[in-house]
Parts: sequence; structure tokens; C-alpha cells
Amino acid sequence: MTTPTSDEPRDQRVPVTVLTGFLGSGKTTLLNRILTEQHGLRIAVIENEFGEVGVDDALVLDSEEEIFEMNNGCICCTVRGDLIRILGALMRRREKFDHILIETTGLADPAPVAQTFFMDDEIAAQLRLDAIVTLVDAAHVLQHLDEVKPEGVENEAVEQIAFADRIVLNKTDLVDESAIAEVTDRIRAINSSVQIIPAQHAEIYLPQVLDVGAFDLERVLAEDPSFLTETEHQHDTTVTSVGIDLTGELDEERLNRWLGTLLRTKGVDIFRSKGILALAGAPKQYVFQGVHMLLVGEFGRHWHDGEQRRNRLVFIGRNLDREALECGFADCLATAGAAA
Amino acid sequence: MSITASEPDLATAWDTAVDDAPVALNARQDLIAVAGAAGTLWILDATTGAGIDTFELPGGALSVALAPDARHAAATGPTGYALWRREDGRTTVHDTGAWSATAAWADNERVAIAAGRRALVLTPDGEERWATEPAASTVTDLAWLRQGRRLAVAAYGAVRCHERHTPKPVMTYPYIGSHLALAVAPTGRWICSGNQDASIHIWRTRDAGELTMSGYPEKVSRLAFDDTGFWLAADGAPDVTVWDFSGKGPAGTAPRSLRCHETITALAWRPGGGGHLASGGADGTVALWRATAGRPESRLSPARILDGDTTVAALTWAGPELLVSAYRDGRIRAHRLPSRTTL
Repeated sequence: MTTPTSDEPRDQRVPVTVLTGFLGSGKTTLLNRILTEQHGLRIAVIENEFGEVGVDDALVLDSEEEIFEMNNGCICCTVRGDLIRILGALMRRREKFDHILIETTGLADPAPVAQTFFMDDEIAAQLRLDAIVTLVDAAHVLQHLDEVKPEGVENEAVEQIAFADRIVLNKTDLVDESAIAEVTDRIRAINSSVQIIPAQHAEIYLPQVLDVGAFDLERVLAEDPSFLTETEHQHDTTVTSVGIDLTGELDEERLNRWLGTLLRTKGVDIFRSKGILALAGAPKQYVFQGVHMLLVGEFGRHWHDGEQRRNRLVFIGRNLDREALECGFADCLATAGAAA
Repeated sequence: MSITASEPDLATAWDTAVDDAPVALNARQDLIAVAGAAGTLWILDATTGAGIDTFELPGGALSVALAPDARHAAATGPTGYALWRREDGRTTVHDTGAWSATAAWADNERVAIAAGRRALVLTPDGEERWATEPAASTVTDLAWLRQGRRLAVAAYGAVRCHERHTPKPVMTYPYIGSHLALAVAPTGRWICSGNQDASIHIWRTRDAGELTMSGYPEKVSRLAFDDTGFWLAADGAPDVTVWDFSGKGPAGTAPRSLRCHETITALAWRPGGGGHLASGGADGTVALWRATAGRPESRLSPARILDGDTTVAALTWAGPELLVSAYRDGRIRAHRLPSRTTL
């Protein structure tokens, strides 16, 4: 795995933001807003859709989605060949970019995009996935979420919300308060920990979506007190979040076994996972982050003196069995072994 | 045995710079072609390094290939390709919008160009002779077999071989995975692909017998046969691996490991089949190897190391006596070797 350890100096890699969202959700508007704002950043944009992005200062590259299976026996492990190619060529140019934006089509699966940053060493060495930002059209998203897909076909709107680190709830001017509340509810039912940013005409404070370090293990957990919000299931939705918050220290070996088995057997259905854990005997927090079956973990900050050892983790995915996850995780507690 | 310290430094034949980050080098006859990432191509005199001509490929460049007689060059890039004619410097740009990864000359009259998911076979002036049907993904590499009658095309899921009479492949070598680089043994016996899944996949052309060398720490994006076709060098790890393809091939054998760089950025066999290899690294070093010395499985040390300041972007040999290195900062350097056979 290629994530640098926390002892290294500040991450020098170029941050990459992935913008997803359905056609008409305001991706191009947001993109243009990012590009025209006076932030002094040199930005490269990789577009999957023919948008009207065109700013002198930015390099805009077109790409067509090419999803490649990895030959490693992991069926959900796919990468985006087009991005590997384009990002590789971009990194060989003399000009340095401060930020890279990848715009995906409204129908794109975010998993191969995210997995590309885990799976390709050349990319992982030079670029870091900063966040997946999903634009949601407040007026039309429910319709997309409710769309019934044929057996075996993913509802892309659900997937894009499940994968998101930030959701820009756009076009709030076109709906009333109760509609906003309903949409927010639905988003939370799928992805309980995501930050929702309400917006009109994609007008947002850019630091809320750029260089937020949502894939940076330390920052994810340090800055995100809402990371684990228990959700009530008002909706009959197959894609949900399961958050676990448990005090105590974990037996590392049992944890590895449980997590390994879980991701191997249920990884296809687990879209995202992240957590901050207390390993028995470890002076530092252990933080991990996963996309489907791929997982990276590292030690984060020190536990403070007298700080309660606490484990917080969240799984976002399809047909998650909350009880099994809770029990399985509880069995990893160091004390669970002694009790058994 | 290598005694780096006691050997005199290699003479620098010339040293020049281009105004871009070079991404590819190619040498034929008396010319060197340099591709800059932003899309300028430089044609240099191999003996002196002096600039002879430049041309532009809007949208950037990925590779450049001179014709065997050095009377033409083909440059490819993210949004198309360009053809250059030495006689009068005329350049024709084909802004196809499709990703052109590479070009390969069959002979002086035909060049194959990767164009999106297809490969085009063109005359040196750009007239299309024939084209392949689209592959499963953007074409990543090309190589000619059978004296330029058969074209091997690497893309996702397979290496497909094409001939002029039909756009469909005449032979398909399937293997699920993203084939990043292609090497065909000059003997015509082997087709090898470097893979995104950190392996080398090998087919024996005679019967399509397959072999996979897996377990590389990283993707294999550079691989090359020497002139004899008995040796294959590959990246995919900090060590360059060199496989023995003589006899029955590398099945059941271990490669020689060449340790010098943390990250390998270029590989080039010295022409002539003496087993001499040049490799370049992200740290700026160029290493010269007696790459076929010792036993299988042994770890070799470089015969020579040439230090540089910035990442080695590309290496090429302009004949057996002149090694040309391009560095990321635009520097192009040529080193003269003491003789045609010594290192």
C-alpha cells in the first residue's frame, strides 16, 4: 500500500478532487466557478462529458471512461485506464499543477475512479485523492433515487451519494424547506457521515470542497465530529450506513481477521469504509479508509493522557447487516477474548 | 565483475537542452528525435547534438519514432499525431482528438500509429494504407512481426495481431488485464506484454502457449528484447529484471536482478546483442549493465553509473557507441563509449 506514514512531512502530492453528479446537477457550473475564482491555483481538469469549461489558466483534457478489471482475483477491483493514462501524461509535463479536478459523467461509477488512486503506484506516488464531491439537484434527486433499475444494475444516483465525501445540495432555491429536509433525510439514510453543503447556482465557499483531505486519514477523523451519526432508517433503502462507536481496545490479530474476511466476502457490497481505532498496546490511533475490498491504514495521532480509548467506524454499502457488523466488531475487543 | 571506480569516465560527446520536459527519444541513422511533453519535437544531429529542425504536435506529445532511413518521423500525442519529412521539413498534423500512444515503423514506407482504439497503417506522408477494427480500449502499444507483415496491437484484454487484408485480428492473444507495453522478440518467437496488474504475460507465437510472470511490486510499463531476442528486460520493481528467453524460454527460471534505481524510468538495450543494457532512474542516474552476466537469479551491480540531477526521462542508443539520455529538466546528453563492444 502506498499511503505515506504519518511520520512523514506534509504530503507534497497534488490533490485531486472528483466531481460526480447527474447531468443537470450543476457540475459544469461548479467547475467553472472553481476555475474562475481568484484563488491563484494552477488547475488541470479532466472532463468526461463535453462541458462548456474553458478558462485560459486551466488545462482541460477530455477522456472517455475505460474501466479495467485488475487481474488479482478481486472482482470488484476495477480501475480507470483512461485516468491512469491521462494523469500519467499530466505528471510528465513540465508545468506543475496545484490541483486536479476530475469530472465524471452522471452515469459513472465512482469506485473505479477512487480505486485508481489506491491501485496505481505511479499515481499514488504523485497524486492524492482529496475528496469525492457529489452534486445533487435538490429538485430532481428523489426522482433519480427512486428510479427502479433492472436486476443487477446499480442506481447511479445512490452510488454517487454513497461514495461522496461532500455533497453539494444544489438548486435549493427551486424547492421549499420541507423538500430540502426530505432530500437531506434521504441522503443521510444512505451516507450518514457525509457533509452536506446547501447551495444555489453551485455557489459555495470553495475551501469546503477543495483540499479538504477527505481521503487523508488523519484529517478525516480529526475534523469530522459528525463522522458517526447514528441514523434512523425511515426509508426502505438497500444502500445505508452502519456506524459503530465502541469504547475499549482491540485485539489487532482478531481485528485483521474480521476486517479481512468481511471485505473479502462482502467487499462488493461495501462501498466505503473508514474508521479510527484503538489497538491494544498502541500509543497512537489507528485510522483506516477503504473502497470496496481495498483498504489502507496507518497510525494517526497519539492518544492523549487519560483519553478514553474509543473505536469509531462507518461502513456505507448495500444490504449491510448492522447487527452482524456490530457483533463482529465487538468480538474484536481485547476483552471479548478474555470473556469468551 | 564490475570495477566502477577504476574505469575512466565516459566521454561526453555533446550536451544540449530543449525547452520542455522530454518524454521520449528515438535515434536512427544520423538523427535523434526528442519529444517534449507540451508537443514540440526536436530533430538533432546525432554526432554533434546540433538542432536540425523542430515541429509541433498541438495537444502534447507522448512518443516519437524516426523511420529506419531517418527521412521521416512520426510523433504521437494525447490528441493526435504528426508526420515530419526531412527533405523539406514539411509537417502534417492529424488532430484526431484520439489518444495516440505510439508509432512503429514497419519499414521506410509504412508506419503504424495508435489512434484511439484503432491502429492505422500509413505511408510516410500520412496516407492510410489500412486500419484495424477498434480494440476493447485505447491502444497502448504496437509492434511489427514477420518482417512488417503483421502488426501486434496491445490494449485492454488482449494483444491482437492484424494483417492488411482484414480489419479483424488474424490472431488474438487474450489475457484479462490492461496491457501497457508490448515487446516482440526479434526471432518472432515470443510476444510479451507488461501489465497494469504487475505482471508480464508471455505468449509463444508458434502455439499461443502462455506464461505469466507475476509478483512484481508495481505495474510493468517498460519491457524490451535485446537484438538477439534471447533477453527481455523489464521494470515493475526497483530492480530491472532480465529474463532468459533462449531455448525453451523463461518458464521455471528466475531472472537476473539489476539493482540501482528506486524507480526505473527508462530502459534501452545497446544495439549489437552483447547483453549490454542502459537503465535510467527517477533519481537522475543512468546505469550501464552487463545484464546477461552471471547466473540466473543473481543480483548484478552496474558496470557504470552516470550521475544526473533530475529524473531520466528517456534513453536511446545512436548506434552501439553513443548513448543519449534525456532528463526531465530538458537536458539532452550523449556519452561516447570506448568501443563498439566494451562498456
